[in-house]
Amino acid sequence: MADDEYGAAVDEYLTRAYDGDRLRELLDAGAWHPELAAELAGLGWYSLAVPEDRGGLGAPLSALGAVFVQFGRHLVVGPQLENVLVPALLADERVAAVVETGVPVAVVDHGVTEEWAEDLGSVTLTSGRLSGTVHAVRFARQASLLVVIAGAAVCLVDPAAPGVRIDELDSADPGTEFARVVLDEVPADPIPDDDLVARLRSWAMLLLACELSGLAHRSLEHTVEHIGRREQFGRPVGSFQALQHIAADMHMRWTGLHNLCLATLADADEASVSELAIMAATAKAHAAEVAVSVCEDAIQLHGGMGFTTESVVSRHYTRALALRAWYGDQTELRRRIGASLLHETDPRRTT
Amino acid sequence: MESLDAFRARARAWLAEAEPPEVPLDLDSRFTVLRRWQKTLFEAGWVGIAWSREAGGQGLTHSHQLVFVEELVRARAPQPIGLIGLEVVGPSIDRYGSDRQRTELLPRLLAGDDIWCQGFSEPEAGSDLASLRTRAVADGDDLVVSGQKIWTSWAHVAQWCALLVRTDPSVRKQAGISYLLVDMSSPGVTARPIRQMTGDGEFCEVFLDQVRVPRRNLLGAENEGWAIATHTLGSERAGATLRRRVELEVAVDDAISELRGRPETPRVRAALGRCHVAMRVLDAQTRRTTARLVAGTGPTPLDSVDKLVLNDVEQTVLAEIAGLLGPLRAVLGSHPHGLRSQRWVHEHLYSRAASIYGGSAQIQRTIVAERLLGLPRG
Repeated sequence: MADDEYGAAVDEYLTRAYDGDRLRELLDAGAWHPELAAELAGLGWYSLAVPEDRGGLGAPLSALGAVFVQFGRHLVVGPQLENVLVPALLADERVAAVVETGVPVAVVDHGVTEEWAEDLGSVTLTSGRLSGTVHAVRFARQASLLVVIAGAAVCLVDPAAPGVRIDELDSADPGTEFARVVLDEVPADPIPDDDLVARLRSWAMLLLACELSGLAHRSLEHTVEHIGRREQFGRPVGSFQALQHIAADMHMRWTGLHNLCLATLADADEASVSELAIMAATAKAHAAEVAVSVCEDAIQLHGGMGFTTESVVSRHYTRALALRAWYGDQTELRRRIGASLLHETDPRRTT
Repeated sequence: MESLDAFRARARAWLAEAEPPEVPLDLDSRFTVLRRWQKTLFEAGWVGIAWSREAGGQGLTHSHQLVFVEELVRARAPQPIGLIGLEVVGPSIDRYGSDRQRTELLPRLLAGDDIWCQGFSEPEAGSDLASLRTRAVADGDDLVVSGQKIWTSWAHVAQWCALLVRTDPSVRKQAGISYLLVDMSSPGVTARPIRQMTGDGEFCEVFLDQVRVPRRNLLGAENEGWAIATHTLGSERAGATLRRRVELEVAVDDAISELRGRPETPRVRAALGRCHVAMRVLDAQTRRTTARLVAGTGPTPLDSVDKLVLNDVEQTVLAEIAGLLGPLRAVLGSHPHGLRSQRWVHEHLYSRAASIYGGSAQIQRTIVAERLLGLPRG
């Protein structure tokens, strides 16, 4: 199946079975919905990039990009990032269960940001035991398994194991539940894979960039529809040049992001671990900036209704704001990219 | 046909031996040097790469042409002086011209013996180009032209001008325009360079006072010049976007080289990071442009999106680099953070023109809003 066919299939299903009243009800009831996770598991969406010899569909990781664009466009809530990515990257029976049930794996990663590292906490692995606290972990309370990152090591931890404490936290992200994870001398065996942390973070970054691109796209679509229909002064407000130029600018910015995501995905499967880290950071840096600004313009062009929760563009905005700095915002990532340009060989010189 | 890889290797090898000239600051010597450079390029077979052999070109493809532009820019070699002729006027003559016009004009255009300028814009006809007022009145076998043109690059040294004139004032404004090929040595033609904020002065204003142009110098039919001009401007855009992309890549590479080995600050890292992101956006955007150019799709509203993205990237990148000059920006010959202030000030100022020339950003936004987004016309 071609990459865009996965996207088209996901889009078709979500348009039919998710958009509209159901989305509104879900959003009002929080971000964790076991029946939705089970439904998506039943559709096989969590096994898309799992290799065939492990019972998956065997799509390349890059095929997930088009799927996350649709997750963003349709504002799909829940642990999609963890449930899609972790089984694809990690061959382990305990991880494989998520593909069938949809009950999430949670990634306990203190390294989602450098800028707020102190606020986020840290985890260390000493003599086979994990200790530390991470103050914001997506879907840890709901998870059947914790994927704990400590330095370059990745360990699988049972949330019910002695020494593990999980505190529920309130969330301002319409699509994510948060918890604090405290580990106190928890025995753990690191998975033998030197590149796993880097690959996990790079792919998370890239898929979040795609999700943000989808969020921006739907905000633009809603806006074009709205200003083409809404009348003031006896004509559609979309005929006024002041609004047309903002809409055109939104389109330009979204197109640039969309094409950047496509180009990055096209090159990603062949990239080395270090190349992918910069490519993904580049896409995420741009997505963080563009998605938020497009959503802000969408609210502006929706007028007062855009500020209410009755209009879905406000939810897209809060979602984009929540994802903006998860695995780095533009400020943090630009510095990281700039430093690598000054010190390493130019990542562009591939030809 | 020669493969792209073999062609690239041949171009790279030739450029390594060619000793491309330094571009002089002084305008007159710049013209002389760059014209000689075009001659050198032409004699080595690097001009008119995608033009047919009948027209004096190399009979290769647009992809070959793009490869050569890339190699030329990466070799830090200047473009030939006659770009307007090569990219804008020449293709129109090749497509719409008579056999006589093609055989008389195109070989000299390619060789750089004739430099062409483009007399389209007028002081009162910029974005609304079709409202142009320069008149051409029939008198025997001649058309007599009077009016004023502006932003006509190299007009003061050019041999020929592609001129849009109004030949029928009685019809809808696009319908009464003709495309004339004017010998710049004709009596009544005066060109005056205009000094720009970059310090350059290749843009000119051109005054036409009762200039007699033989009717055989009409390109295409009388009153059908608008379609040719539209074709001309459309064929200019995709190629220019791709060339500018490579120039910006080289600029960022040069900035990185200049910055390396100096004390590193968060500001320098952030600026370079932002430049890199912007360049990746442009690269991703132009993958589609390349596909359209090679397929010969012709002008589309997607070109307007490309142009907006290019403007944005160009202005972002050069503002970030020039921003690193800080207070030493204004000190000629200074090297803040290792950067050559003179070059970056010049490039930064020039980037401000990007959203004005070739159809302003406002015009492009209106095209995107109405033709791509389908918003109701204002």
